[in-house]
Amino acid sequence: MSFLRWKYHKKRAGDVKPEALIPVIRNYRRTYIIPSIMNKTAKFLRLALPVLCGAILLSSFLGETRHRRFPYHEAGLTERQAAAHLISRFTYGATPGQIDEVVKMGLEKWFRAQLDASLPDDSLQTMLAQYDALKLSNAQIAAAFPRNGQIVRMAVRDGYVDKDSVKTDQKAYRDILKKYRDEKGFKPEQELFRQLYCQKILRAAYSQNQLREVMTDFWFNHFNVSITKNDCAEFIPVYERDVIRPGSLGRFGDLLKTTAHSPAMLYYLDNFTSSGPVDTTKPMQKARKAQGLNENYARELMELHTLGVDGGYTQQDVTQAARVLTGWTVYPMRRAPESSPSGMTEEFIRRQGSVHEGDFLFAANRHDKGEKVVLGKHFGPNGGYEEGVQLLEMLAHHPSTARFISRKIAIRFVNDDPPASLVDRMAKTFRDKDGDIREVMMTMVTSPEFWSASAIREKTKSPFELAIGAVRSLRARINQPFQLYNWVTRMGEKMYFYQAPTGFPDKGQFWINTGSLLNRMNFGLALATGRIPGISFDLAVLNNNHEPESAQAALMTYCKLIMPERDLDQTIRRLTPMLGDPSLQQKVNAAATQNDEMSVTESAPVPTPMTSATTAQVVGIIIGSPEYQRR
Amino acid sequence: MVTRRGFLKGGGLALLGVGLMGGIPGFLAEAAANDKIIRPYKRRKVLVCIFQRGAMDGLMAVTPFSDTYLQTVRPTLFISAAKDSNAHPLIDLDGKWGLHPSMQSFAPLYKDKRLAIVHGIGSPNNTRSHFDAQDYMESGTPFNKGTSSGWLNRAVGLLGHDALTPFTAVSLTSALPRCFYGDNPSVAISNLQDFAIQMRGNPSAAGKVASSFEDLYDQTSPGLLKETGKESFEAMKMLQKADTRNYKPDNNAVYPNSPLGNSLKQIAQLIKMDVGLEIAFTESNGWDTHFNQGAADGIFARNVTDLSNCITAFWTDLSSYQDDVTVMTMTEFGRTVRQNGTGGTDHGRASCNFILGNDVNGGMVHGRVEALAVENLEDGRDLAVTTDFRAVFSEVADKHLQLGNDRVLFPDWNGSKIGVMNSVS
Repeated sequence: MSFLRWKYHKKRAGDVKPEALIPVIRNYRRTYIIPSIMNKTAKFLRLALPVLCGAILLSSFLGETRHRRFPYHEAGLTERQAAAHLISRFTYGATPGQIDEVVKMGLEKWFRAQLDASLPDDSLQTMLAQYDALKLSNAQIAAAFPRNGQIVRMAVRDGYVDKDSVKTDQKAYRDILKKYRDEKGFKPEQELFRQLYCQKILRAAYSQNQLREVMTDFWFNHFNVSITKNDCAEFIPVYERDVIRPGSLGRFGDLLKTTAHSPAMLYYLDNFTSSGPVDTTKPMQKARKAQGLNENYARELMELHTLGVDGGYTQQDVTQAARVLTGWTVYPMRRAPESSPSGMTEEFIRRQGSVHEGDFLFAANRHDKGEKVVLGKHFGPNGGYEEGVQLLEMLAHHPSTARFISRKIAIRFVNDDPPASLVDRMAKTFRDKDGDIREVMMTMVTSPEFWSASAIREKTKSPFELAIGAVRSLRARINQPFQLYNWVTRMGEKMYFYQAPTGFPDKGQFWINTGSLLNRMNFGLALATGRIPGISFDLAVLNNNHEPESAQAALMTYCKLIMPERDLDQTIRRLTPMLGDPSLQQKVNAAATQNDEMSVTESAPVPTPMTSATTAQVVGIIIGSPEYQRR
Repeated sequence: MVTRRGFLKGGGLALLGVGLMGGIPGFLAEAAANDKIIRPYKRRKVLVCIFQRGAMDGLMAVTPFSDTYLQTVRPTLFISAAKDSNAHPLIDLDGKWGLHPSMQSFAPLYKDKRLAIVHGIGSPNNTRSHFDAQDYMESGTPFNKGTSSGWLNRAVGLLGHDALTPFTAVSLTSALPRCFYGDNPSVAISNLQDFAIQMRGNPSAAGKVASSFEDLYDQTSPGLLKETGKESFEAMKMLQKADTRNYKPDNNAVYPNSPLGNSLKQIAQLIKMDVGLEIAFTESNGWDTHFNQGAADGIFARNVTDLSNCITAFWTDLSSYQDDVTVMTMTEFGRTVRQNGTGGTDHGRASCNFILGNDVNGGMVHGRVEALAVENLEDGRDLAVTTDFRAVFSEVADKHLQLGNDRVLFPDWNGSKIGVMNSVS
C-alpha cells in the first residue's frame, strides 16, 4: 500500500510544481484511490491504478464482507424470491434462467461479483468494436466532429460558401456543406451521439457486469450533464467512459473530484468561465473584463452533488465556494499546438502556478487569490489549485453528503421513499468507510429494509429499464440499438438530454402518465410482434424448442419465463379469454401474413403461424402489462 | 363533434357522454364536479405558448424603420417601409415600427387590437448561450440553474382548482420541455394519433388487445399504474371518437404543413374536444440565423411566414373559442444590431414577442426601445433589455388564467407589469 502511494506521488511530483503539491499529497493520503485522469501520466495511471487499487480493495473488501448473509428468510422470502428481487434491483432485468444461476452460485457471492465488476465481457466488446468514436480522446473528438457552426465558418473561410449570397437555396446550401464535410473527412456530431446511445444500450443489455452499468446510469444522472447544452455535448462520451463508469463502484470523493475536473461538467455548469476579480492594470486581462464569478457549479456542487438542498449551507457559502473554484477550466484543445497563445507552454503554465492535467487546466491568473470561508473552513489568502481540491474533499466527507448520497442510493434500489433507519445505517457506513460506494451498497443489502414487503416490486421501471429488460427477458439480439433508443424516447426518457442538473427524477410519478403509458404498451406489442427493426428473438428457442400444447399453455409458459417468481394469477386470468376468441386468432393471422414486418412468424420455426402470431401478441401484452412495469 | 358551446348549453355533462363507449370519462366527470364546487360554471381558459428556439432577430421581425443607425449597420438586412422603392416593403404599423413583409397575416390582427407586440424584452441574465438563456426562460429563474420546476408547471399548480385532467397541460413535443418539469401533472405528446393501441393494419385486433390491457390495468393493485391506466384508456377512447386523423379545421383555416402548423392544429383539436386543456406548449425551430439570414426573402422570411401563418390559421380555426384562448410567443434572446460578416446576425440581448387574444391590449408595440446608437446599446452592440420577460409572462398568464401568485410563478421577481393585457377581462 504505502509503496504504491509513494510511487504515485513521486510520479506526480515530476509534473506539478512541488510547493503546490504538498497539500495535495496530504489530502490524498486519506484516501487510496486517486483520481486518475487528472495527470499528464493519465494513460499510465488509467491502466495501472484501477488494477492495483482494485486488487488491494478487493482483498480487504472481501475479508470484511465474506461472512455477511442477506436477511431475506427473516422477511419471509424464499431463496428464489430473494434472487429475483436481487436481480430486479441490480441488473437491467432477469434473463431466462438467471434466477437458477444466481441461486446456484449463492446470492451473496453473486452480489460480491457484481460489486467487483470484473467478469469477462468479451462478446460485448466484440459488439462495441464497430463504434470507433468511443475510443477517441476529447481532443480527437473535437477535431473529428466539428459542430455545424464551425463547419459553416470553415467552409466560408475556404471559399466553399459565398458569404455574400443572401438568397440561398436551402438544399443547395446543405449539399455544399455536406460536400465540404465529406472532403475534409469531418463527421457529423449526430454520429458521435448515435454511437453513445448505442453503446449504452448494448452494455446494459449484454454486460455481465450488470451492476456497474446500473451504477453508471445512476451516477451519470446524479452528476448530470446534457447534450442539450452544445458546449458540453461532445465531451459526454469521454465523461461517461473515463469518469463515471470507472468510478461508479469506487469512492464517492474520487468521483466528485474527477467530475469536477471534466470538460463536460466544467462546460455544463459554466465553471470554465468563472474567474476572480480582474486586475485592470494588466493589459492582457482587460479583455476579460466582461467575465467574472460564475456560481452555477458551486451551487449545484453543494445542492445536488454533495450536501443536498437542506444540507446546511448558505448563499454565502455558495459564493465563497465559487471563488475557491475560480480558474478551474478546460485546457484549450481545438487549437493546434503551434497556434496556441505564446504563453501556453507547459513551462509557462508551471511558472504561473497553473496546473495542466489532461483536459483540465487550473489557470492561476484567473483564480481569486483572496481569503474565503466555506462552511467555516478558511481558504487562502494566496492559495491556488489545492484550495479547490480541499473544498471537494471537505464536501465529500461532510455528514450531510453521507446522508444525501445514501438516501439517493436507497431511493434507486429500495423504494421511492426509503425508511430513515436504513438511510441512517448506510450514511454511517459512508462516513466510516470513507465514502466507499460498495460498502454502502453492502450495508443496504444486508439490512432488513431492503427485503421488506415495502421494497419488493415497489419501483417503477424507467423507459430504459423497461426496454432493456424486455430485450433481456426475450434474450433478443440487438442489431440496431438505435431503434430501441427511439422507443425509449417515445416512452419519455430521452437519454443524455435531460436539461436540468437535477437529472431525471427517480420516482414512479415522473415516468408514468397517460402519454407514456400507452407507449409502453405499444412498445411491448411492437417488440413482441417483430415490428421493431433490427431486434430479433426466437420465442420457441426461449422455451427450449418446446411447442406449447395449447394457447393456454403458451400463456403460462411465457408469463413464467418473462416474469419469474411473480404472482401471475391476475395476468393469466385476464389474458385467458383473449386466447379463446377464435376470430381474434384469424384476424391476427391475417395481419401477420399480410404484413412483412411481423417477421416473428418467419424466425420462429416450430409452431404453426397462427399459434406463433398469437403467442407473440400474448408476449407483447405481458410486456405492456402493469405487473411488468414494476421491478 | 362535441363542442365547448354545446357542452355549456347542455348544462354540463350530458353531451360529453355522447358516443363514448364507457360514458363520460371519469377524469372529466370528476373535473366537472370539482369545477362546480370551486369555480361555478366557469369556462376553461387556455394559454398557448410557442418557444422560438434559436433566438429570433426581433429587429428584423418588427423594425424601427426610421432608425438611421440600423440602416447603416445592416446594409443588406435592412428592409425599408417605403412602398415605392421595393416590391416587399415593411408593413407600417404606426409610422415608427414596421412588421416584416412576410407576416402579412398578422396585420389585420394588429389592426383589430387583438395582437400586441413587446419590444426590448429579454432576460436580466446577460448570457448569450442558447442553452442557458432557454433554461432560464423556461425555469423562470434567470440566475438559478438548480430550479427543478418550470414556470408553466408551476402555473398548473396555481390554476386554483383540483379539476385537473390528463390534458390540463400538454406539450406538443417529443420530450417534456424544461418549462413543464415539475410535480404538477403535465404531458408531452408528439402526436395525438399515437394515443392509441397500435396493431398495424389490424384495427379490430388492436381493439381486442386494448381491452385486454384495459382489463389488466383495471385489475392491478390500487396506485399509480391503475389510476394512470384508467385515465389513459379514457383519453384514448375520447381521441378515437374525435377522429383526429380526419380533422377539418373550421372557417376554412389552412394550417401550413410544418411542425408548428401540425402542433397548433392538434392543440386546436384538444381545445374543441373540451378535455380540460388549460396550458399548451409547442416550439418553432431555426431562428439561429448566423449565416445568410436574408431580408424580404430567405431563411428569416420563411421562418416568420411559417410562424405568422400558423398562428393565424390557429386563430381562424378557433373562431368560436377566441375569448378563451391567448397565444404568446417567446425566444431566448435577440441578435446583434449590426449584421455580421456572413450575412447574418450573432447572439444578442433583447428581442420582441407576440401576444394574441381578446383580452390583450393589442394594436400597439409595448416596451421601450431607445434610438439605436452605440451608447444606447447593451455592451455597445445589442438591443438593450428594457422589459424583463417575467413582467410579460406573469401578466399574460396571471390575467388570462387567474393564477394570482407571482411569487410562486417567478420566485425571484418583484418587478412591475407593463399593461400588455386589458385590465378588465
